[in-house]
Amino acid sequence: MTRAAPLRRRAGVAPRVALALVWLALPLVPLVLWAAADRWSFPALLPTAWGLTGWRQAADQGAAAALGRSVLLGLVVAALATPAGAMAGRALALHRVPARRLVEGLLLAPVAVPPFAVVMGLTTLTLRAGIPGTVALVCVLTVSALPYTVFVMRSAYTGYDVGVEEEARTLGAGPRAVLLRVHLPLAAPALATAAFLAFLVGWSDYVVTLVVGGGQLVTLPMLVGALSSATGNDAVVAAVSLTAVLPPLLLLVATALLARRGAR
Amino acid sequence: MPRRRPLPLTAALLGSVLVVSSCAGAPEPGAGGGAAPTAPDRPWDEVLAEADGQTVDLWMYGGDQQGNAYVDDVLAPAAAERGVTLRRVPVTDTADAVNRVLSELQAGTDDGSVDLVWVNGENFATGRQADAWLCDWTGQLPSMEFVDPEDPLLTSDFGTPVDGCEAPWHKAQFVLAYDSADVADPPTSIEGLLEWAEANPGRFTYPAPPDFTGSAFLRQVLYAVAGGPEEVPAEFDRAALDELGPRLFDRLAGLAPSLWRGGDTYPRDLAALEELYAGDQVDLTMTYGPATLAQQVASGALPASTRVLPLEEGTLGNASFLAVPVNAGDQPGALVVADLALSPEQQLAKADPATWGQYPVVDLDRVPEDVRAGFAALPASPVVPPFEELSGGADPELGAGWVTPLEDGWRSDVLGAG
Repeated sequence: MTRAAPLRRRAGVAPRVALALVWLALPLVPLVLWAAADRWSFPALLPTAWGLTGWRQAADQGAAAALGRSVLLGLVVAALATPAGAMAGRALALHRVPARRLVEGLLLAPVAVPPFAVVMGLTTLTLRAGIPGTVALVCVLTVSALPYTVFVMRSAYTGYDVGVEEEARTLGAGPRAVLLRVHLPLAAPALATAAFLAFLVGWSDYVVTLVVGGGQLVTLPMLVGALSSATGNDAVVAAVSLTAVLPPLLLLVATALLARRGAR
Repeated sequence: MPRRRPLPLTAALLGSVLVVSSCAGAPEPGAGGGAAPTAPDRPWDEVLAEADGQTVDLWMYGGDQQGNAYVDDVLAPAAAERGVTLRRVPVTDTADAVNRVLSELQAGTDDGSVDLVWVNGENFATGRQADAWLCDWTGQLPSMEFVDPEDPLLTSDFGTPVDGCEAPWHKAQFVLAYDSADVADPPTSIEGLLEWAEANPGRFTYPAPPDFTGSAFLRQVLYAVAGGPEEVPAEFDRAALDELGPRLFDRLAGLAPSLWRGGDTYPRDLAALEELYAGDQVDLTMTYGPATLAQQVASGALPASTRVLPLEEGTLGNASFLAVPVNAGDQPGALVVADLALSPEQQLAKADPATWGQYPVVDLDRVPEDVRAGFAALPASPVVPPFEELSGGADPELGAGWVTPLEDGWRSDVLGAG
């Protein structure tokens, strides 16, 4: 009985994985079709004229520069929120933190408050403080990314054996060597996941970029938003949207590979 | 034209601005009805000198690819020749730009990030109420000499007096279009159109207000049932609404059973109507941007037999403008760009359907001879008649205050009844 269970479980996995893939891929099908359609009029099931107009238009509308800005914004947010999240997560998991519930609640708060509810107030605040739009944008997005990085890192450190670090110290390694050769390699898969989530926060943001950032940084979501608000832009919107889907997808695969290597 | 969509999100954002400002006890700009800030009167050479080297952020609705391309490829290089770098900030909704200006004003920022906004109607009115626009500056622009100072479309923006608080950019005309392959004998008036729809059940519909185009159609029918634009006060008037509203809504509710799908449902926006029209499910469509109509026919998205419906009583017309926020960081630069955009050469370049196809705000009797010849040489469209003909007897737009009550009434009395 007990021996048969894993087999049965494995047999049930394949269709479910397939279903999940269909669920994820299905919304992309019209996007891919539109990105390759010069014309697609109702009620044809497939595009009536194939072509790359959408991509040409996307290039004309500045998609390449917007892609660069979006990557940069995502990377900066990840670079700030990941170490901060790691430190907070380690403290919460391994140390005694005064008023732990309150600290946890505060760190989680940005997720509970929808950005557009606070974005106007934050704008006024940052404007009054004289903070340049782009700096304010990075600060706000970093704080929005913190809940994800903190809680990914906290659960990683919960299963982390500090004894390994202590052992390295006993064997004569300095704090720097422990950090670089013991601590970071062990935390790497979780750090990658946290960084990926933080990247996504910067990558997908629209309202903070627009309102707090003051339009200084025209990112891919802003381009998609502006183009998709008009009729007849389906091809270019599909092209820009696909451009916006690819980098996170690549990062997801990279993170998964890293996590698997770490698990081994 | 810059889109105006009364989104719940926009309302929420505006709401939070008010909440935040009242919490912070910020001095409200213009509270107490103070005079709108005006630009210092100075020689144009001085403005040009100050503008040299500035970067102007033009915030504009970014959904119009041709419009984006015109600004990037035609207007920006011309601005660079005058020493001004023009940067386009695309927004989903012009209200986003107005909100940004309002929050900067609440925070007392005087080096604002918005230098120029493509605006009209409600958004312009919102900004005026908050004294957010620089006023009395368009008279300084040398290009204003090409504009007819008496042009009613340019002195009043959806009922709000312009007062030199925004520089004209281009005009738009509401049109209905039909498929001449299906409609042998097109109606020539709105009333005729409604009768045609009743005689041809299922072949006509309109986008559900508050869609921008559907809302314009509502105002067009209002003029028809009222007996002409002169019967409807431009400024919103509750008594006029109580009298005219029921006539409008009864007419449209009576029409509903003859509409596409028996009026049980309406296309959610203009794109949906155009899709129905392109798929030959209905025989008419409508738009506030006739230039796009010609493009869509040229690209094959709409049938080649599409023609603009000639309406005896004329149709709604409006103009859109460029406004400068009072706290614009690069004000002289913004003035220079607004002047450039109004120059006969730019107006002509923009009017070319291959570029953008927007109707000029300059008076063709006032522009230099070569520019006039250029306008005359613009390719004639088989779909859309020339603007001169189209705008003959253009109906003035109603005040912005009318828009929401009409949309609300339609929702409860027409959509609910259908």
